[in-house]
Amino acid sequence: MTTAPPLPNVDTELALPAGAEPVARSNWQLFRRRFFRHKLALISIVVLLFLIVVCFGAKWIAPYPKNQTNLLITPGGPSAKHWFGTNGVGQDMLTQVLYGGQISLKIGLAVAFFSTIVGVFVGALAGFYRGWLDQGLSRLVDLFLIVPELAIVGIAIQRLGATDTSFIIVLAALGWMYIARVVRGQVLSIREKEFVEAARASGASTPRIIVRHILPNCIGPIMVNATLAIAAAVIFEATLTYLGLGLQPPATSWGILLNQAESAVTSTSQFYLVFFPGLFLVVTVLCVNFLGDGLRDAFDPQSEH
Amino acid sequence: MLTYIVRRIVYSVPVLIVASFLVFWGVRTTYDPTAKYRNNRDAARVIAEKKHELGLDKSIVAQWWTWLTDALHGNFGTSYRTNDSVSSMLRHALWPSIQLMFFGTIFALIIAIGVGVYSAVKQYSAGDYFFTGTSYFFIAMPAFLFGLLAIALLVTLPVEKFHLSEPILYSVGLHSNGQSGFNLDYIRHLVLPVATLVVQSVAVWSRFQRASMLDVLNADYVRTARAKGVSERTVIFRHAFRNALIPLVTVVALDTAFLIGGLVITEQIFAISGMGRLFLDSLQGGDAPVLLGWFLVVAIFVVVFNLCADLAYSILDPRIRVS
Amino acid sequence: MTFTRRTPVRLLIAGLAAATVLAACGSSSKSSNSGSGSTTSFSGTVPQGGAITIGAEQEPDCFDWLGTCAGSSWGYWMAEVNTIPLAIQASGVGPDLKNTPGPVLAGEPTVTTDPVETITYKINPDAVWSDKVPITCADFQYTADQQQNSKDIYDRTGYTGIASVTCPDPKTVVVKYKQGETFATWQLLFSGTVGIMPSHILKGKDRDTLMKDGYTWSGGPWLAKWNKGDSIVLTPNANYWGNKPHLDQVTFKFLADTSAEFQAFKSGQVSMIYPQPQLDVVDAISAGLPDANSVYNAKTASAEALWINNQKPPFNDKVFRQAVAYAIDRDAIVNRLFGKLGVTQAVNSLNPYVVKDYSDPNAWSNYKLDLNKVNSLMTGAGWTKGSDGIWAKGGQKATFTINSTTSNKRRELTETVMQQMLKTAGFDMKIANQKASQLFGETAPNGDYQMALYANNLTSIQPGECNLFCSQNIPTAANGNSGNNWYRVSIPELDPLLKSVDTNLDDSVRKSDAAKADDIMAENQVSLPLDPLPDIVIWSKKLVGPIGDNSIEGPFWNIDQWGVNS
Repeated sequence: MTTAPPLPNVDTELALPAGAEPVARSNWQLFRRRFFRHKLALISIVVLLFLIVVCFGAKWIAPYPKNQTNLLITPGGPSAKHWFGTNGVGQDMLTQVLYGGQISLKIGLAVAFFSTIVGVFVGALAGFYRGWLDQGLSRLVDLFLIVPELAIVGIAIQRLGATDTSFIIVLAALGWMYIARVVRGQVLSIREKEFVEAARASGASTPRIIVRHILPNCIGPIMVNATLAIAAAVIFEATLTYLGLGLQPPATSWGILLNQAESAVTSTSQFYLVFFPGLFLVVTVLCVNFLGDGLRDAFDPQSEH
Repeated sequence: MLTYIVRRIVYSVPVLIVASFLVFWGVRTTYDPTAKYRNNRDAARVIAEKKHELGLDKSIVAQWWTWLTDALHGNFGTSYRTNDSVSSMLRHALWPSIQLMFFGTIFALIIAIGVGVYSAVKQYSAGDYFFTGTSYFFIAMPAFLFGLLAIALLVTLPVEKFHLSEPILYSVGLHSNGQSGFNLDYIRHLVLPVATLVVQSVAVWSRFQRASMLDVLNADYVRTARAKGVSERTVIFRHAFRNALIPLVTVVALDTAFLIGGLVITEQIFAISGMGRLFLDSLQGGDAPVLLGWFLVVAIFVVVFNLCADLAYSILDPRIRVS
Repeated sequence: MTFTRRTPVRLLIAGLAAATVLAACGSSSKSSNSGSGSTTSFSGTVPQGGAITIGAEQEPDCFDWLGTCAGSSWGYWMAEVNTIPLAIQASGVGPDLKNTPGPVLAGEPTVTTDPVETITYKINPDAVWSDKVPITCADFQYTADQQQNSKDIYDRTGYTGIASVTCPDPKTVVVKYKQGETFATWQLLFSGTVGIMPSHILKGKDRDTLMKDGYTWSGGPWLAKWNKGDSIVLTPNANYWGNKPHLDQVTFKFLADTSAEFQAFKSGQVSMIYPQPQLDVVDAISAGLPDANSVYNAKTASAEALWINNQKPPFNDKVFRQAVAYAIDRDAIVNRLFGKLGVTQAVNSLNPYVVKDYSDPNAWSNYKLDLNKVNSLMTGAGWTKGSDGIWAKGGQKATFTINSTTSNKRRELTETVMQQMLKTAGFDMKIANQKASQLFGETAPNGDYQMALYANNLTSIQPGECNLFCSQNIPTAANGNSGNNWYRVSIPELDPLLKSVDTNLDDSVRKSDAAKADDIMAENQVSLPLDPLPDIVIWSKKLVGPIGDNSIEGPFWNIDQWGVNS
């Protein structure tokens, strides 16, 4: 399984294309114009917003109560009463997919958010201060990269219980390293630039320098990684459920729905059980990735259309 | 260069040690290896015996230290589950996984680089869109779903539809009964597990290669080369390509650790008894010695791979100063 | 003996009983819990030669069958049954199994009880180990000695009371019990998961070391080779004294993923599977599998139930337990889970089918969905429904948690359905599933649960529930927390009845006492039986022979009689 792939960087300085001017915050209009040219990203934003609204509003939108079973009806494919069909115990799949989306999207968004925050924090500190702090933090990153993900997840879930909160904590704790490295590289390269010298000379405090001058120039890779982290978290949750390390009933998520339909993958009559949760999952991840693409193009002043 | 490598190795050692303690502590405090003896007539006696035998009555640090010193002498202890020597279990499990990772990485690289460069050079063409679309599709699909679908479509369906006596591609293990070695049978077994293992990596790497190739193709020095009249082909392969590989190298090195995680799913679905299966069985059985030995082996792999990645940098771009 | 089964289950340890004659199971009376997909009787010739591959869902941890690491049903079914001689076998193909003397004996053992319980075995004069050394009384002596005195023994039941094992001649074994000690289930001796071990190979050495990774000798029709992580391969034992196998080789391939296993079967990579009765398997069978035979047997040695901790509130109140039982429509659940196999009703006894003669199969039959009954019981006990529709009494709500095993979709769906049914009736049930090792290793024995959903699996056709339900077997400090009464059942009038089943020499009294015990347990609603957990065997039409289900010894027990058409 892969998580958010980092942008190119280790200890080197490939962050900005050679000779490019850093994008200052006042070029917001420039950014917006570039972003809106990326039609796929625009569509993705709309679709994502739609999914978020529909899933988090499941309480009002879903036709049936959550997890409600009905042993009297025969399971069947999409019909007028059940747009997405019903499963073996008579649950309405549309309802389940919507409620499942709540958890999957929540996990994805929360993991991306927290791992970004931690990663930016650690990376900025390491890159700016260098020296011992950098070495220490870099070793911390190495530590997290060495320890196998699954071991941590398996053990942590065992001890914290398999709730969505514990998943968010664990997945965020495993996902911040990339952003940290990326931000560190960016900060390393930017801190030498003249405008930072100027800010320092004018007496700005370190946090101020970092926040107001350096980080805005890293926004590109940060945003891209954050969006990719969403996708990775959603998929990782499904994978963990397959291995038996995931959420437990009565919780429902796209991962759980896909797993319950594992054998439906091969049957024509039951394929709808896999199709709908799978469709939502794939569309979400696609949109998130296109969004990331759009952001990357928008932040890169040299991209051509 | 040498000092850099040495320094990296030296830095890795304390990290490995700390990580080993964390994993040890986590596993030991989470799983009780005597739990399965509780359901037993003589439970109290057996459990007390086992506790002493496994050294569970000492402190965590003491237990960990014993383990570490033994490991440094090559003795990884015995499994709680099977009473087998951990090192022999690891050795048996390592070989199938190495095969999967080796072939997987090679093919993934070839495909990813090919697709990425093509997409970058022919940006926004129909081919580019096609590859982009399929890449994203595969990124979005969890590996286990891909694996099961692949089996259903490529193994079972042909057998049922065409009434074959045996499937074209196999989904169980790496060899048919009685077969061994590198032959057609082996390849037929290898295709689907390798594909499942790397499908997401291929998609991600090709995106990366495309992105970094684009970055480089638009760089000043490339523009200069073009302006000087250098042929496009030379521009691509002499100047751009090598530099565009650099970010990919990072990603591949980092992803190796995750490919190891991907082994768990692949080996589960395709019934291959490698490191992934061993890990899952040990995790679910609370088999701490095997988990620790496993972790050590994997960690060393990751460190070595990252070192190789750094070496690859310096080969690819002599300008890079590694501080 | 305790096993973990393929769907991890807890096992009934056979209690003490003083049977003098082996109990044969009754005739095939049609009940709604039986069903079969295709014929299991076989007549005709079996082709010679060929090799087959069978899918196995679990790999044993070790091959030391007497030791604590060997608690795996699959290990028993694949390897032990085919390589270790068993004095008494549970034989049969299909739902009705009988205890018969194994090929290692010359005839039925004889038992006398005066002055002490004495069992005499006559060993088959032709019986030899795979190295041609005869199987003798010395092997029985060695086995009994190991069971009594060796350190790491899984279950010593029945051997601790043995006073002596003597050999009047090499092929005759006389087992004498201590004065005052009786072991009614003596058919378990040198059978079940213990068997007979070769003294000339193991005596004086470390049995565990020599056996745990597999062994090259055998006292059965096959030799077994264990390729760890991959497969177990059986090849014929050239020196077997009985009927030699027809097949040249049998490979049991470990396939942990049920979907992939199904694919492997459909694509011909394995010719037989013995899958857990999950919903998708049931669907697949009813949808029809061309080129395949299937058998499903609901008259098994397992019973899945909603086990209750009778000491933990709110279940320490009999009325509460009964009310909950009336709130669940068990028949509807079972019908949904297994209806396509013809299993449409819940079971009504905690005793599995194989011991039905020592039970009241209808003990729980009055516990059907009856919301009026729920209301009257609860209000009668002082509960009132709150504004949220949940019963409350004295500030306490009618809420409890159910535990079951993770990664078991059928159980998860069962819990989901139950949750809704109970909500309608005014109970709030929460779900908290755990890994099997945790559930059976800690949670249930320690009593850290209120209700648990899992199945019990018998390993022999012998009754005996005192082990599970007698009050002295509640795990406490007194018995070193090793009792098996995880349900904390303590009913004064129940104890003597259960003990009688274990010790009474009069079989008809045992049967009637067992039925009475069932009725008392049902009246107290100590736990709620649910479904019979059917066995499902699916095999390619290329395989020929008397193939079917044997719920105790596994479907491979007679694999030496099978053949394959190429």
